[in-house]
Amino acid sequence: MKRVKQQDVFAERPPVKAAPDVKQLRKMAGDWLKQRRADAEMSQADLAARLGLKYYTFISQVENGFSRVPIEIMGAWASVLGLEQAAFARHLLMYYEPELHRLLFGAESK
Amino acid sequence: MSVVAFERKQDSGEWSDKELSALVAAFGAALAPGTGREWETGMTERGDAQFYLLSPLPDQACELCVSRIGGRYILEDGLGRLLFEHRNLELVALHAKAAVPSTSWLMVRGVTLWCAIRNTIHEKVEPLLVEGEELLVQFVPQLAAFA
Repeated sequence: MKRVKQQDVFAERPPVKAAPDVKQLRKMAGDWLKQRRADAEMSQADLAARLGLKYYTFISQVENGFSRVPIEIMGAWASVLGLEQAAFARHLLMYYEPELHRLLFGAESK
Repeated sequence: MSVVAFERKQDSGEWSDKELSALVAAFGAALAPGTGREWETGMTERGDAQFYLLSPLPDQACELCVSRIGGRYILEDGLGRLLFEHRNLELVALHAKAAVPSTSWLMVRGVTLWCAIRNTIHEKVEPLLVEGEELLVQFVPQLAAFA
């Protein structure tokens, strides 16, 4: 599995000016997750197997932006991709709950 | 010799019209106008077809997902829980229909509206009626005496 620089990985941000809707943000999170999986040189099937999922269809569901990464497996998802769990969760929160992210971490962290 | 032309079952690629019709028909009630629900299709990286039943705006998140992998249909919810799987789409569609979250958006809106109307009647109309009744009680003896 290929390791990538953590700082660069979490540097990606949703555009500030556009104020995208919930669906768009979830799609952006999906694209980010897809890129992280590609960095780790894993297929959807590999990731699903490592997460203990019978099928890889849910990985596709999340990466296509129709579902979120469930909190229960967020830590495991991060670990399998070789990413730090807290930073991974914080980054996803920026897409899934942007207002909560702003309240917790402030506008300067954007 | 006559050859019976069996319809070849699709194992990969996009949904066929027949498959899509079966799925849309199964979710007919869930997709009825006023529910706010929609559906979309997508693909896995291996090119397996996926059908997503989406919740109403603003979230539009996946409530149920049907995927076709190697001729097998997989029914999952929006959290990735495997609900049912089978080679027969009609059977999967039947399970999908039963798995649609039962509290309909329309019902919630109806109950909310009913509560709002009852509250308005309680707060605005009832005091007026009571006031009218009090006035009547006050004036009836005087009117009776006058008559």
